[in-house]
Amino acid sequence: MTDKILKVKNGDTVGSVNDLLKDLLNSKKVQALLVMQEVPSKAMAFPVLISNPDKLNSNVFAPVLPVSTASIISKITKIESSSKPIGVVMRSCQIRALIELVKLNQANIDNIVIIGIDCLGTYPVNVYSDFPENTTPTNYLLSNFPKNSNDIKYLRSACKSCKDPIPINADLLIGLYDMNPKKELLIQINSDKGKKLIEGIKLDSAKDTKNREISVKNIREEKNKNRIDFIKEGGKIKGIDALAKFFDKCINCHNCMKVCPICYCKECLFDSSVFNLEANKYIGKAEKKGLFKMPNDSLLFHTTRMNHMVVSCVGCGLCEQACPSDIPLMEIIIPIGENAQKEFDYSPGIDIEKKIPMVIYKEDEYQEVGEK
Amino acid sequence: MVTIVIDSKKYETNPDETVLEVAQKNNIFIPTLCHHPVIEPYSVCRLCVVEVTQGGKTWLTTSCNLKIIDGMEIKTVTQRIQRARKVLMELYLARCPQSDFLKEFALKLGVKETRFESKSDIDTQCILCGMCVRVCDQVMGVSALGFANRGVNREVMNPFDKFSEVCMTCGACAFVCPTQCINLSDLSRNKPEPLINEFNAGLNNRSAIYVPFPQAIPNVPVIDKEACMYYLNGTCKACEKFCEKDALKHDQNDQEIRINVGSVIVSPGFDNYIPPRGDSYGYKVYPNVLTSIEFERMLSASGPYGGHIQRISDGNQPKKIAWLQCVGSRDESCNKPYCSSVCCMYATKEAVIAKEHEPGLETHIYFMDLRSFGKDFEKYYNKAKEEYGVVYRRCRIPRVEQDIKTKNLKIGYVDDEGKVKDETYDMVVLSVGLQPCNALGDLSKILDVNLNQYGFVETSPFFKTLTSRKGIYSSGTVTEPKDIPESVTQASAAAVEAAKDISVARGTEIIEKIYPEEIDISNKYPRIGVFVCHCGINIAGVVDVKKVVKSAETFPHVVYAEETIYACSQDSLENIKNKIKELDLNRIVVSSCTPRTHEPLFKDTLREAGLNPHLFEMANIRDQNSWVHKNEPEAATEKAVDAVRMAVSKASKLYPVHHFQTPVTQSTLVIGGGIAGMTSALAIADQGYKVFIVENESELGGHLKNIYMGIDKEKPQDLLRETIKNIKNHSNIELFINTKIDSVSGYIGNFNTKLKSKNNKDIKEIKHGVIVVATGGIPYEPVEYQYGKDKNIIKQTDFEKELFDNKSYLKNLKEVVMIQCVGSRNSDHPYCSRICCSQALKNALKLKEINPEVNIFVLYRDIRTYGFKEDMLYSKARKKGIIFIRFNEDDEPKVNLHQDKISVKTIDLILGQNVILHPDKLVLSTGIIPRDNSEITQKLKIPLNEDKFFAEAHVKLRPVDFSTDGIYLCGLAHSPRFIEESILQAKATGARAATILSKPYLETKGNIAHITSRNCAGCKLCIDVCSYDAIEFDEEKRIVKVNEILCQGCGACSAVCPSGVSQQNTFTKKQVISMIDACLE
Repeated sequence: MTDKILKVKNGDTVGSVNDLLKDLLNSKKVQALLVMQEVPSKAMAFPVLISNPDKLNSNVFAPVLPVSTASIISKITKIESSSKPIGVVMRSCQIRALIELVKLNQANIDNIVIIGIDCLGTYPVNVYSDFPENTTPTNYLLSNFPKNSNDIKYLRSACKSCKDPIPINADLLIGLYDMNPKKELLIQINSDKGKKLIEGIKLDSAKDTKNREISVKNIREEKNKNRIDFIKEGGKIKGIDALAKFFDKCINCHNCMKVCPICYCKECLFDSSVFNLEANKYIGKAEKKGLFKMPNDSLLFHTTRMNHMVVSCVGCGLCEQACPSDIPLMEIIIPIGENAQKEFDYSPGIDIEKKIPMVIYKEDEYQEVGEK
Repeated sequence: MVTIVIDSKKYETNPDETVLEVAQKNNIFIPTLCHHPVIEPYSVCRLCVVEVTQGGKTWLTTSCNLKIIDGMEIKTVTQRIQRARKVLMELYLARCPQSDFLKEFALKLGVKETRFESKSDIDTQCILCGMCVRVCDQVMGVSALGFANRGVNREVMNPFDKFSEVCMTCGACAFVCPTQCINLSDLSRNKPEPLINEFNAGLNNRSAIYVPFPQAIPNVPVIDKEACMYYLNGTCKACEKFCEKDALKHDQNDQEIRINVGSVIVSPGFDNYIPPRGDSYGYKVYPNVLTSIEFERMLSASGPYGGHIQRISDGNQPKKIAWLQCVGSRDESCNKPYCSSVCCMYATKEAVIAKEHEPGLETHIYFMDLRSFGKDFEKYYNKAKEEYGVVYRRCRIPRVEQDIKTKNLKIGYVDDEGKVKDETYDMVVLSVGLQPCNALGDLSKILDVNLNQYGFVETSPFFKTLTSRKGIYSSGTVTEPKDIPESVTQASAAAVEAAKDISVARGTEIIEKIYPEEIDISNKYPRIGVFVCHCGINIAGVVDVKKVVKSAETFPHVVYAEETIYACSQDSLENIKNKIKELDLNRIVVSSCTPRTHEPLFKDTLREAGLNPHLFEMANIRDQNSWVHKNEPEAATEKAVDAVRMAVSKASKLYPVHHFQTPVTQSTLVIGGGIAGMTSALAIADQGYKVFIVENESELGGHLKNIYMGIDKEKPQDLLRETIKNIKNHSNIELFINTKIDSVSGYIGNFNTKLKSKNNKDIKEIKHGVIVVATGGIPYEPVEYQYGKDKNIIKQTDFEKELFDNKSYLKNLKEVVMIQCVGSRNSDHPYCSRICCSQALKNALKLKEINPEVNIFVLYRDIRTYGFKEDMLYSKARKKGIIFIRFNEDDEPKVNLHQDKISVKTIDLILGQNVILHPDKLVLSTGIIPRDNSEITQKLKIPLNEDKFFAEAHVKLRPVDFSTDGIYLCGLAHSPRFIEESILQAKATGARAATILSKPYLETKGNIAHITSRNCAGCKLCIDVCSYDAIEFDEEKRIVKVNEILCQGCGACSAVCPSGVSQQNTFTKKQVISMIDACLE
């Protein structure tokens, strides 16, 4: 499919994208759009579901991810799939999360058109709302682009070591890499859904995209390097004592679970009464060790949560952002996730047809486990 | 009862016991070298000295003959005792410096060396304990041995130092000798013959009272009357003294029991062929030549070598093993002209397992034709070759030679290029064939059934369970050598025949057990009773049961704990019931053996006492404890305490589970009207149940319509006509032709199926309890070998029709070529079609009969005429001059057409030269391929295998069942097979179906899963992992639901459910986690 170019008017990247989105709403190709829009104080941006083009004043590039857009799509489509088309502008990690949720029967994208944007990374919410530089976070990021992401200040650690900042499985892609965002943006059509969406909207054809391929390759390599460092570092956390030390600041608030797009349970097992023991058992434990830290199930919570979600972990880093104790969760989640996914030869959020490893039984798999 | 204090601990005991006996019972170690429970104490070794305090006096005395007096105080370890024992031990060491046993025993007592000088002229290991003398006198009652001389010259010998006339060569003296210094051949004129352990194929020995094999049913010992000294000489009975339950009754006699039966099934199995001693393979002469049965026992973890492969000659691990196929099979010289059908596969299996046991082992199999004709067998054979590196060499080995020194074995063989080579092996395994069992001769006379020319039970041509006598049926290898799946299938088929004869009496002799009404425990606190079992000495010999009971008493909710010698004995069960009533217990924990065998018994006891049977928990402190921790009694006791604590903890969280019942619709849907479908329908209908047959096509018959001749004189078309007639006349059968399955809903016992006529006009709904899938297979339509380009290139099935019609041109044929494996055993169809070899030979022989002058060439890869077909077809064909030329898969024959003349070019592998044939007729032996089963698969939710045939629940154990309950499988839809084999499967489905249809209702299992709907996120992971199709998705509520009838309680859904919504009764998260917590407490 031919790629298109969106000309940026007056250097207003955000405004030009908004014009395009308004055109989409006006053309009735989508009934509503889910996009990031800044709150009136401009201190934060949240996803909003917009149906009236006049109300659209979004900022798709706002470099912040306060909530998981994938979880929001799940919320919208879980009970029944949308009867009318909804467009949703998403970052790559959230698209991956959405694909996982579809596999887990927690979201339905039959009538959802995914508009992906090349991700330049996001800032932690507190940095975004109280930005230390003399400009808006969006402008700061766009004007610093295309620097090496390690050189861009304030980016979240998850973003620095992103699995892939280029959206896969997006019907339409708004491209930044190898573009000058002050002048023009790439509009890539990846599916029939995407093609239908921009039919009738006047856009120039793009010239060859060879250079883009190179810069995409470069950015992927750069992020991958960071990931490898993470995995190396994380590999040093070994044994129950190191693990306990890593999580010793945990206040058992379960925020990480609440923001995680993959944690989809209606009620977490750890919020239930399964781990509540009788008094004599608590006393028994205290007697055995002499002392017994309470709450008692925080480490078990983290290991169980990891056991449940790591193979599907898309590396969005929302858990780390939500942690009130500033536990650097990505340092452990990324290495465990990567290794677990490698073990099962599984990449979350890539292939919607591939079943998650948990439900596939292979007779000759892990024969060595349990033998020694 | 008297009280005695041993090492400051009180024990209550019988007054007539000795101190040593009490100590041994309570696991208190007192060393002794002259004590044995079956002989009178003699107090000669003096090692069992203890310190006795009574009436203010303290002295040392031997404990083995010390009778207990009330209030006696005993110390077993003091400095004084140790000093005494040490001196004694040193004296023993000085007397017998050679004895390893004594050295080890001394170490146990802390004695490393002796201070006394050994007398160089005494070279004995005898410590003069006199056990041999006493056992001979007191137990065996013959006194063949005695002491002679006095003082330093005292020794044990036969009277006058001559072979004793009264010695029975029983070996009791050698058995009790602590230092193992008695050599029976020094004492007895007779050569002692150890009793061969039959189950281990003679690789080791057994005693005269023994459990025949670990899985024996019933699992109780038997006495070998031909070896037991009591039955031979009226002496011994030592075993009685060991049995705490007095279960040994030597006065039991053989009884003749008369029972009236409606039908008989003969299924005595086979004997394996035993190569004659001194034949050219050297079996029983060369120690490292074994039969496959012996090797099988060697491989077994429960076998004589614990699964370790070792040479008999030196115990070394072999590096290279050869298997020689067809020993006692396909061999007219030993009167075994038939193929034993199973040896190719078992040799392959043994080679693969041996390689898994000992990585780096080389395994070579010498064979003539590799007969991997069963379902998925070809795949296994290829895997053995390619993945495991098992080497296959096509050569029948004439002789095995042994190197006298090394005991290695040399084999000469001819390789693929025709060169004679030889190779040396550490071990040779003879793949022995199957022969009729020894007992069959007499049995057949008693039963008055005919045996066939090979000595197996003669069966009706198409109905392999019918013997020559009405009402007597036969199954398994007694009718023809066969593998496990076929045996199991035939067994079910025999069962259906037997059941049919007596179906009018079904259910008339059942006595229903009546249980008291269940006690409501919903408002009661857990009151747990714990029963810890000794299991004779099985548990109590290692685990300190008393300590376990003491600990159990302290666990939360435990109201009562006690020990019991055998928890499963009738009086103990009665006791459990009484205690439940007496103490108002509402949860029971039995700490004993495995729930696999005994849980049902205890659960039933709970029901009898009015408790819900699922308020029961078992802690296995035998199989997983005392048996495996024999040498660590203290740790074992601690582990047992933990196990009981875990069980108690879980028990406190148990809740009553009730079983639901659903009625069964007593009718069957048979899908497919071929011979398999029709036979299945008749088998079920004859038992009195309604059957619906649905056939896609306009007439019945399926693939059988293409088969005109049997292997012998059978007439397939007559069979077809007869079967169709029976179907049409049967009042229980309703037939739908030109009909398809539209939809199937429901589950076992209650299916609901919509049938649609082919023109889509009529839709009919039927209700039924079970389904038989007999959708058949289809003949392969070849694309290779120029098929379709010349009228003289035809398929084997078409050729069969021409032979049957006795077409006139057949007489004029000069040369006919048959090519085998067309569309089989290749990359498109990697399986063997099983029937084509026999079909080709059957037709070739028929052609020879019509036209004896014709030259017939059969181009083949392996001839797979298994069973009697080997003799009836292959041998006969060769004798009639039919020429067989083998080709390799990667070098298939080339067929060329030139001006209507066919030429076939192939390499003769023996000559190593091209052969060009110009047949008048080229016949292609095409196989069977599966139908497009995708629709049925989806509608019934049943699986296909890799080759797209249906996949049964278990290849060996459930060959005609699907893993989804209530759906059965037979005929070509299962895999390619002969008519009679399809019929057996079909009959087997009849038996399997009756297990459901004969019940008025089905009951759920107890430990099934249930879903907490409130928290179900509807992710469907559980649906993916459920093997039994027991979980459905409720589209409206967007949650899953368990079908309680289909659920088998495997727990896979509970394991996969992230939020713990799917919980398995009796294994809920709460229960399991509480066990883990209790374990870590």
